[in-house]
Amino acid sequence: MTTKPRATVLLCSSTGCLASGSAGVREAMSAELQRRKLEDEVQMVIGGCRGFCTMGPVMDIYPGGIFYVRVQPADVSEIVEETLIKGRVVERLCYKDPVTGETIPIFEKIPFYAKQERLILRNCGRINPNRIEEYIAFGGYEALAHALLAMTPEEIIRDVKASGLRGRGGAGFPTGRKWEATRMAEGDIKYVVVNGDEGDPGAFMDRSIMEADPHSVLEGLTIGAYAVGAHQGYIYVRDEYPLAVRNLQIAIDQAREYGLLGENILDSGFDFDVQIMRGAGAFVCGESSALMQSLEGKVGEPRPKHIHATERGLWDRPTCLNNVKTWATIPHIINNGPEWFRRMGTEGSPGTMVFSLVGKVNNTGLVEVPMGISLHDLIYDIGGGIPKGKKFKAVQTGGPSGGCLPAELLHLPVDFDRLTEAGSMMGSGGMIVMDEDTCMVDVARYFLDFLKEESCGKCVACREGIKRMLEILTKITEGQGTMADIERLETLAWTVQQASLCQLGKTAPNPVLSTLRYFHDEYVAHVVDKKCPGGVCRALITYSIDPEKCTGCMVCARKCPQTAISGERRQPHVINPELCIRCGVCRDLCRFDAVVVE
Amino acid sequence: MITFTIDGQTVQTEEGKTVLEVARREGIPIPTLCYHPAVEPYGACRMCTVEVELHGRTRLETSCTIPAQEGMIVRTNTPDVYKVRQTLMGLFLSRCPNVPLIQELAAQYGVTEPPYPTDTPDEKCILCGLCVRVCQNVVKAKALNFSERGITRRVGPPFLEKTRDCIGCGACTIVCPTGAIEIVMEKLAVYKEKPLGPTSAIYVPSLQAVPRVPVIDTDVCIRFRQNDRTNGRIADACGVCQMMCEANAINFDQEDEIIELEVGAIIVATGFHMWDPTQLSQYAYGQSPNIITGLEFERLSNAGGPTGGEILLADGRKPESVAIIHCVGSRDHNAHPYCSRICCMYALKQAHLVRDKTGAEVYEFYMDMRAFGKAYEEFYERIQEEGVFMIRGKGAKVEVLPDGKLRVKGENANLGVMVSVDVDMVILATAIEAQPDADRIASLFGLGRTEDGFFAEAHPKLRPVETNTEGIFLAGACQGPRDVPDTVAHTGAAVSMALALLDKGEVTISPAIAWVNEELCSACKTCIALCPYRAISFIEEDNVARVNEALCKGCGTCVAACPAGAITGRHFTDEQILAQIEGLFRLPVEQLEGVGS
Repeated sequence: MTTKPRATVLLCSSTGCLASGSAGVREAMSAELQRRKLEDEVQMVIGGCRGFCTMGPVMDIYPGGIFYVRVQPADVSEIVEETLIKGRVVERLCYKDPVTGETIPIFEKIPFYAKQERLILRNCGRINPNRIEEYIAFGGYEALAHALLAMTPEEIIRDVKASGLRGRGGAGFPTGRKWEATRMAEGDIKYVVVNGDEGDPGAFMDRSIMEADPHSVLEGLTIGAYAVGAHQGYIYVRDEYPLAVRNLQIAIDQAREYGLLGENILDSGFDFDVQIMRGAGAFVCGESSALMQSLEGKVGEPRPKHIHATERGLWDRPTCLNNVKTWATIPHIINNGPEWFRRMGTEGSPGTMVFSLVGKVNNTGLVEVPMGISLHDLIYDIGGGIPKGKKFKAVQTGGPSGGCLPAELLHLPVDFDRLTEAGSMMGSGGMIVMDEDTCMVDVARYFLDFLKEESCGKCVACREGIKRMLEILTKITEGQGTMADIERLETLAWTVQQASLCQLGKTAPNPVLSTLRYFHDEYVAHVVDKKCPGGVCRALITYSIDPEKCTGCMVCARKCPQTAISGERRQPHVINPELCIRCGVCRDLCRFDAVVVE
Repeated sequence: MITFTIDGQTVQTEEGKTVLEVARREGIPIPTLCYHPAVEPYGACRMCTVEVELHGRTRLETSCTIPAQEGMIVRTNTPDVYKVRQTLMGLFLSRCPNVPLIQELAAQYGVTEPPYPTDTPDEKCILCGLCVRVCQNVVKAKALNFSERGITRRVGPPFLEKTRDCIGCGACTIVCPTGAIEIVMEKLAVYKEKPLGPTSAIYVPSLQAVPRVPVIDTDVCIRFRQNDRTNGRIADACGVCQMMCEANAINFDQEDEIIELEVGAIIVATGFHMWDPTQLSQYAYGQSPNIITGLEFERLSNAGGPTGGEILLADGRKPESVAIIHCVGSRDHNAHPYCSRICCMYALKQAHLVRDKTGAEVYEFYMDMRAFGKAYEEFYERIQEEGVFMIRGKGAKVEVLPDGKLRVKGENANLGVMVSVDVDMVILATAIEAQPDADRIASLFGLGRTEDGFFAEAHPKLRPVETNTEGIFLAGACQGPRDVPDTVAHTGAAVSMALALLDKGEVTISPAIAWVNEELCSACKTCIALCPYRAISFIEEDNVARVNEALCKGCGTCVAACPAGAITGRHFTDEQILAQIEGLFRLPVEQLEGVGS
């Protein structure tokens, strides 16, 4: 290419946007550019996740930073015509604020992004993950060069310790201390491992980083390897992330080609190489000791951690295992120094954290915020609040084994310690928002149902305990529960928390314990009043039609699968409770809010 | 050394010991289900949970996995610990409501009824993983592992199918705390292996022996079997005995050795062999596990035997009726024509044991009752009084009925009718016979054998323990069927004879022995093969045959056979004999009367 392109189209090609049709947009765009002979003038960059998945496929156009959402192939010719040739904004493709209705064409000004502090996600969506040159152009591998050529391993560990960085996988163990322990451990052969086995349903932070910015992980890992004295690294990625595996492999190959991996990296005399290991998608393999068992080719089961992995981990060698986000944070700390890092976040939890914000919230997607931001800011300012003007009921943090926090705790600053105190946890950053139509007993039941499938079954507390807690919860949601059941549930949850072998088991009762703590009334309502306040538990609810509101439009009567609804046109309808199976179709269809669930 | 406290008691231990190990050593009870000292701790049952205070933090930990640390404060029985164990036992009992061990342990924590729905009343496995760990890490057969996960987790061979990886060692059944694993013998498998064979690869071959030294049966021992199976690839399987033996007495490198001794006398006491009843098909031996020989019955009723001395059928039931058949292979022209002498009395004793231990009906099929020893007849009378059915007539045939019962047919000669009884167990009083390798022993020691195959004594009445070879004596049943008192008496005699010989310090030998004129010997070795006393050996250095004067009996066989005429019988030289003949001829005929008589 001889001439520098005058415009750049950044198209998100991450899993979320691919699912909403970004591949078609890409084809249409390159065909359109070709047709108009603009290939030299406009370059298209196939970038990674921008985090605003609910609005996918998303597209950025530079210069100008115009941000288009929900782009479909049919929109492409208009974008080229209007924006790329004439320099106008296509308003109908811009983001509209759901509250004010205002059209916001510039990416930085969208509230979803405006309140974020994108550090780990800095490059995500800005660069083509398959071109190492783009990563380098944005300052990539500078930290590695600095670390290898100008710092000793001890200095690196000192800086990481000073930064206060804590493991982003969920437990929040101080990263610097882990590195130091690995460095001090006896043995010539040591390993570094990336935990990319993101198993929480609805969480996709790690996937997005591995897909969109794989070099940041590799750079952090190589610095870590140098610091702890390892020459071999493994990236454990679940096989359900094919794009992450592909992009990481391309990144590794390119880094090797550039001498950033392999023997004598950057002429520093340091040798290091990385291998990708694909996991088979067991939730428990995200637990470090189970992950290492799996890496060794054994069944992924946790083992007691009285001897730390930093002393005897993978193949009984000292092993330093960190989450994808932790590794990706390292280059920033090296580049900017620990004091800079400490300025973000809170005293106990410096830095930023990436959350996947999902559930009953307007803006679902990946967000990166400084630690210590309040739940309220996260859900209302960035997340845009609860859809349809419903009331907020709870937010579940930390994945399936996290806890549910109520509205009273919305002021709670989000960091490792505060969440744990409140009976939940940071986890790897999953955040599920629930509205008033949620039944908290049913939520606890739902998560235990997931955990029942994912418990490895090694220790009796987790294996049998979850099964029995689930049985009791199911009994309660079916209206068969007693107060004695609630008591038994509490004892059982406490025992599973105290007596389980691994962190999966110890945290499995969190959904139960936190709902019992914050939503005890709902349990009592189920057991004593035989009512489900959320209107979810079918055995405990009745559907009826408010004759005041019903206009007799007949939509519900036509769609009712049981033909349980009768009534004349323009006359209030009636639901026959004998026939009603409480499927909720009528309520979803009614445009007049006339279907009442009690 | 590490010093810490358990339940207020200060204890010391070397580094690397777990809290559980120290507690066990100190006699502090901590319940466990998934722990076994022979395998790596696993931490699955969580029952050994204790409260641990360290660096000011108190936590619940499993004592089987946590290493003892300096300054640790361990409490094994706090309310929290009790609550955890109680809840866990509720979980166990709901999973396995009918396992006695679980019921007992649950009751200790006040759980008597399963607190949760018991949808698996027959479940015995608590998934403690002991079998898996033993099979993987100790036996190294890797035939067992977990499959699936979570609540559907289960233990089994690969793909839950029959596997050739299983070596049938039974280690898993031994460690299983709940009896959830059973070794199922393939059809027609040898019954002898179980329950009547040794129950373990290490056993004391003779229970009454002094000293009672156990041996390792290398055909059964997991370590040796794995080593053989894999051509030495798995050379370190098991070794649990070595790990457990406090005296450090197990040595796998020990091998059989040949000890050479120079002795002045040898007593041959090689005993007898039990005749194999499969040779006569009418007894149906081998067709049912409940048709056993008298010797197998002895093992069964022995307190050190597989059932602890209980008389049980193969399926574990007590027999309700038992038939004992005498003279199986004895006094039978299709087997051994002789009487085995011991069977009548042991059969009566076994009838008594069956009556005494089980109360079962006993039928004795006998030809004649040979109760000839001291107090034997009285014992026979006592057995009759105990209600044993005595049927005079040989048990002719045993049939295995489709329901597993055994039908014994025979003749009641006293009544002159055919009889048939259906019983649960048949004991065959099998014959005793000479050892199968008696011929080799005989030629080794120059012994004669009688028609029945037993070793021949020098004289049936006057020299019952001596043999025709000087210095070699017979003791016990190698000479002929003989019961215990007779064997003891016979052996005493043999020992006396040997002592008498040794006590002399020197041997008086007959002067009439053979002598080789080495100048004439042509080294043809004819004499060596012919000598019945193995008295001639060939001396390679001198290239001649030479006679051992202590062994030679002066029989003259070699003298007559030597083709070179090199051997002479001392005092029976050709010259002497010819002179005697000549002398005879000089006598008048009337004086010849009486010469040579």
